[in-house]
Amino acid sequence: MFYMSIFFQYMSQYVKTKLQYRTDLFVEFLSDLMFQGVNLIFILVVFGHTQLLNGWTRDEIIFIYGFFLVPFALFASFFNIWDFNERYIVRGEMDRVLTRPVHSLFQIVLERMELESLLGGITGLVIMSYAAAKLHLTFHWYDVILFVLFVLGGTFVYAGIFISLASISFWSDARSSIMPMMYNIGNYGRYPVDIYNRVIRYVLTWVLPFAFVGVYPSAYFLRKTEWYMYSFLTPVMGIVCFTLSVLLWNAGVKRYRGAGN
Amino acid sequence: MYAIEVEKLRKEFKSYSSRSGLAGAFRDLFTRNYKTIRAVDDISFTVKQGEMVGYIGENGAGKSTTIKMLTGILTPTSGRIVVNGMNPHKERERFVQTIGVVFGQRSQLWWDIAVQESFRLLKKVYRVSDHDYKEHMDHVIETLDIGSLLDKPVRKLSLGQRMRCELAAALIHNPPLLFLDEPTIGLDVLVKLKIRQFLKEINEKYNTTILLTTHDMTDIEALCERVIMLDEGKIIYDGSLQRLKQNWGEGKQIQFQFRDVVSKEQLISLIDVTWEEGEDRHSWIAHVRADDMAHVIGKIVSSYELKDIHIREVSTEEVIRNIYEEGIHHG
Repeated sequence: MFYMSIFFQYMSQYVKTKLQYRTDLFVEFLSDLMFQGVNLIFILVVFGHTQLLNGWTRDEIIFIYGFFLVPFALFASFFNIWDFNERYIVRGEMDRVLTRPVHSLFQIVLERMELESLLGGITGLVIMSYAAAKLHLTFHWYDVILFVLFVLGGTFVYAGIFISLASISFWSDARSSIMPMMYNIGNYGRYPVDIYNRVIRYVLTWVLPFAFVGVYPSAYFLRKTEWYMYSFLTPVMGIVCFTLSVLLWNAGVKRYRGAGN
Repeated sequence: MYAIEVEKLRKEFKSYSSRSGLAGAFRDLFTRNYKTIRAVDDISFTVKQGEMVGYIGENGAGKSTTIKMLTGILTPTSGRIVVNGMNPHKERERFVQTIGVVFGQRSQLWWDIAVQESFRLLKKVYRVSDHDYKEHMDHVIETLDIGSLLDKPVRKLSLGQRMRCELAAALIHNPPLLFLDEPTIGLDVLVKLKIRQFLKEINEKYNTTILLTTHDMTDIEALCERVIMLDEGKIIYDGSLQRLKQNWGEGKQIQFQFRDVVSKEQLISLIDVTWEEGEDRHSWIAHVRADDMAHVIGKIVSSYELKDIHIREVSTEEVIRNIYEEGIHHG
């Protein structure tokens, strides 16, 4: 409850800050919108050439991509901590965070939130509706609940992986290029995993479970019954990933060495 | 009831030293020379509620490391810390509710938003009720004279203005214990005076314990009865500032400006005290005990023709410098 009220306090502050720079906000909104538009056209063009991919139709792949964008947008809005090492460890901002009576990770999430990224989620919904219309998919009322659960699951899988990576900074001072690489690997999760070889499929399911952000949950809405087991595992994976990463984080905070001054 | 209890506190950092040259860099890749540096070396002390303590030492003596362990930022390697009845890093979130922290070189406030918005966020974070906030902060804002700054974003404030706001921000939850790490660094005399005045006031009003690190000895003189002095991670002095000055700066320095050139031998044969050369060959400085002052001056005046006499007391700054140069046991 306390954390909820803190969350809204920070959020209103964030909006206020953004509103202070009116032209900035306007330009940013426009460029975000254009970026999403270009993205949309790009996807349609690229997938226009592939008709069938290992048994998946073009529209199914577009649907998966659209779904992927929704958890990814949530992740990018709230867990965008790729610069954690530089901002908080090297510059010692972590000192300040640790002197406040709120969980350190939660504070950093609040400080780094970027609500603009939520726009990407809307693009995702548009793409999904387009693909769903073409595929003549029908949905039940409870699919809405499942959709929310799967999206949250996917978001937490993503968040868990990136929080774990950020936690590495507590052990090693060196700046690493793991973060950008991980963004790349994350993209593999939005294609049907059965097009990859067994090792990669295993990695994307159990080691870096990016497949739970795109293809597995989408399979449910595409009525691919053979994948249902994985689809329903999505929220579980989300919880497991996130919990493990928070434990890793907590262990890391104990090792925090601070920046000299 | 102690505000701070520290027993055999130790913090070690492991760092590796890199070898020189490219070949050395390659060797580093495989085997590294690890070195354990003991930043804080088995220190013990206690601070009573309501005390104002100056924590001093050279750069790298371990001051900041101690403060960071006391505030729960760093986990100690070994030893026992109890602050406000809690173990800082074990119960961090509950513990930091009872302390206020100001790091002079790091801002607690949000850069982009107005000061009062920062205050409002912190008020929420520390769960301060509207009533308590109003009662306490109205007074703080008035004393620190920051009322007119509240609607400005932090990035537009001068250093002195920002520092006063930082101090106010650290006191939003009216903590019984305040840690100040170089709070007056880079500030002008007027702002320093205002901040000292304010710290004295809250110490009297709320019996707030204050632990202060600074390189500015005038801060310590103005505020602290007691100083803890650190050198290479060890406490080398813990006691009143008064006693430190008595032991170390008891003597006076008398500067004589002679009309003619006088040699050291002549002076020593006249009075056997430590003579130090002044700016030119006409001036000499005698280091004497306070009791001997009249005697020395009388002797010199009766033997030589003088242009000027100047008596100086040893400043705290010099006392500290002497201790670092010669070690504590000399005095």
